[in-house]
Amino acid sequence: MTALAREQWPAAMGRVLASVAFVLVLWHLAALSVAGSYMLAGPVAVAQYLLENSSLIWRALVVTAQNAAWGFMAGNLAAIGLALIVVMIPQSRMLVASVALVVFCLPLVATGPVLRVLYGPGPGPQITLAALSVYYTTFIPLLVGLRAAPGNWFDMIRLYGRGAWSTFVHVRVMAAMPYLMAGLQVAAPAAFLGAMVGEFTGAERGLGVLTLRALRALDVEATWSIALVAASVSMLAYWAIGWLADRITPSRPEILLATTPAPVRGPMALRALRALALGLATTVIVVALWWLVMEAFALNRFFAKRPDDLWHYLVTAPNAAAHRAALWTASTATLVQVVPGYLAGLFLGAGLALLLALVPMLAGGVLPVAIALRSVPIVTTAPLIVLALGRGAVGTITIVAVMTFFPALVACIQGLRQAPGQVLDLMRLYATNPLARLWHAQIPAMLPAFFAAARLSVPAAILAVTVAEWLATGRGLGALMAMTASTSDYNLLWSAIVVVAVGAALGYGLVGLIERVVLARVAPEQLRR
Amino acid sequence: MAEPMSARGPEIVCDAVTKSFGHGPSMVEAVAPLSLSFASGQMAALVGPSGCGKSTLLRMVAGLEQPSCGTINLDGETPEALQRAGAFAMAFQDASLLPWRSVQGNIALARRLARLRADPEAVAEMIARVGLAGFEDARPAELSGGMRQRVAIARCLVTNPRVLLLDEPFGAVDELTRARLNTELPPLWKATGTTCLMVTHSVREAVALADRVVIFSSRPAEIVGDIAIPEEARSDKAARLALAEEVSVALAQGWDEAGAAERLAAQ
Repeated sequence: MTALAREQWPAAMGRVLASVAFVLVLWHLAALSVAGSYMLAGPVAVAQYLLENSSLIWRALVVTAQNAAWGFMAGNLAAIGLALIVVMIPQSRMLVASVALVVFCLPLVATGPVLRVLYGPGPGPQITLAALSVYYTTFIPLLVGLRAAPGNWFDMIRLYGRGAWSTFVHVRVMAAMPYLMAGLQVAAPAAFLGAMVGEFTGAERGLGVLTLRALRALDVEATWSIALVAASVSMLAYWAIGWLADRITPSRPEILLATTPAPVRGPMALRALRALALGLATTVIVVALWWLVMEAFALNRFFAKRPDDLWHYLVTAPNAAAHRAALWTASTATLVQVVPGYLAGLFLGAGLALLLALVPMLAGGVLPVAIALRSVPIVTTAPLIVLALGRGAVGTITIVAVMTFFPALVACIQGLRQAPGQVLDLMRLYATNPLARLWHAQIPAMLPAFFAAARLSVPAAILAVTVAEWLATGRGLGALMAMTASTSDYNLLWSAIVVVAVGAALGYGLVGLIERVVLARVAPEQLRR
Repeated sequence: MAEPMSARGPEIVCDAVTKSFGHGPSMVEAVAPLSLSFASGQMAALVGPSGCGKSTLLRMVAGLEQPSCGTINLDGETPEALQRAGAFAMAFQDASLLPWRSVQGNIALARRLARLRADPEAVAEMIARVGLAGFEDARPAELSGGMRQRVAIARCLVTNPRVLLLDEPFGAVDELTRARLNTELPPLWKATGTTCLMVTHSVREAVALADRVVIFSSRPAEIVGDIAIPEEARSDKAARLALAEEVSVALAQGWDEAGAAERLAAQ
């Protein structure tokens, strides 16, 4: 936006219009070439559908946007509350962050149906899912921001005998503002995604309901039109918050949406013990919270399963082995699709970023497009990919890859820019070739951003694979959760939720571990001091 | 001045103060047992090699670090008690201004933190005194490095502190600006009778500004020289040069090359 403001408006507008026209022509040609295959609706057909059904789409859009907005508010308020707890009680950081992560890893696909039963009809589940999908991506950067100010600022406050409250009011709040805005920007499309997933679970109105109907009826024009509307609104929300942030905060630092891990210190056994204790404490707190919520609201045991119900179902019941086998089959089916998709998206994203670093001429055009596409919720693109690539493994893996590709690309491009300019100048002075520059200076600078994207992509990839399985393939945990929700097999549904949440949290932890080992070898200075 | 002249600065007494960081084999001793005192209203410069612990001593006097052993008192009171009384002010190597506050806002904040009443006139007067009239509403990002340091000094002085701590306040500005700031600003704080400790790398700066120069060895900091600068030496160029030479020699003796090399090898 600032770059645009500096340029001449007419010229910039001209360029935007030309790009839009170019995309429209390509899209039209692609639609012509696959006409009659139920894959792609061209721009003319989409425009026609939107015109004919404008009032229907508008009504649905208003409903979804309202739910997303309420969820956006609730989720971000929760994130701010959590961050404040951590700032006021620093010892609680690891624990609060771990519990927050586990809750973030709950599969929306499964929590949706459970919430639907709990809330009954109405917008409750949509709003809750929207809140659940935004709070973590605001919580983490905010946490970084609240601690990001230079040490001297804190010293100055202490020098006058002032305590935590003065530090908070005079330093932390304002220093955290750019980080909060970065979190809110990512949260806007995420809230839209959450609201749409909520609408899949038996809502009466909204874009999610229309999407489901269009997919079932193989209505290609409707699917593409709704996807286009949802994607445009998400991008608009992303852009609007960015615009607001430019006006509110004087400077916008490059922000990683995840904290950098602390360096590996102390003997191996002690570290392992500490990690084990944290894992145990997190498990105890999550299980206790789960049980407490169920009991506090006296929720019906038929659908609101307690931890001991699952223990009985999976361990002590007569046919527990069969239950475990069903879970295992679904989990492995999901795993073989999510891992290749996750890795492909991540490394293709990083690879393209590296290519752009070698051929900088291309980078200027790619970054805005990548940032825009990153803000498109997966639920809007998943149906399109299913239409295009079919309901097999290729489609699912592609959906997962798309989900991880854009965050990785954007993070890596931003990470590559962190390479110190003077180091690069020095290398140019010795006529070092671009590949050596990449290897010795730019890749080490990029790694923290790459790993931050890799960690946050774990829950995102699992969301993508379960959505794809649910909407299309009929295999894996996503399909199992959809099936058990419709057959009221709540024991199996809750078991699947636990498997997915634990799997995502373990995956996140595993990536963090790899990050620590790699950074300690390649770029120890990048670890948090 | 809107406020009455502050009470004279306290006498600062450091008694067998040590400071070490870390634990076990990775422990670093920053300050060896040090006993020294600064008279009320004295302007003392602390010089020594980089990383010798002189800034740590300054931070301990300010109560920002706790000594590992020993005590520091200021007219018999602890640094924490003086913090609560708003008696300190400190300038850092970078100006450390809050980027979202204007020049005026940054200076006014110090009065608020020191629990003094809001006094726009005192703030305006201080801005004028450091030569920034007309820049009241500018943000730090719109100022040059030298201007930012002036704001930092104004922020220090607007509370009429009893103890002024300067941690290489002009270290990050260019030589010309530094010379100008050194001529213009010290009279401002010397007039107030405050006790002032200044960490600096520049021997010339120390001799030109201070009543006393304390010279530290490389880490862990020990005192290798303590030279009084008589008032009459300041106006006599030859005397000033001779003193600067004396300080440089003491500094060179304190800069234990062999010890430093040994420590580097150990790391």
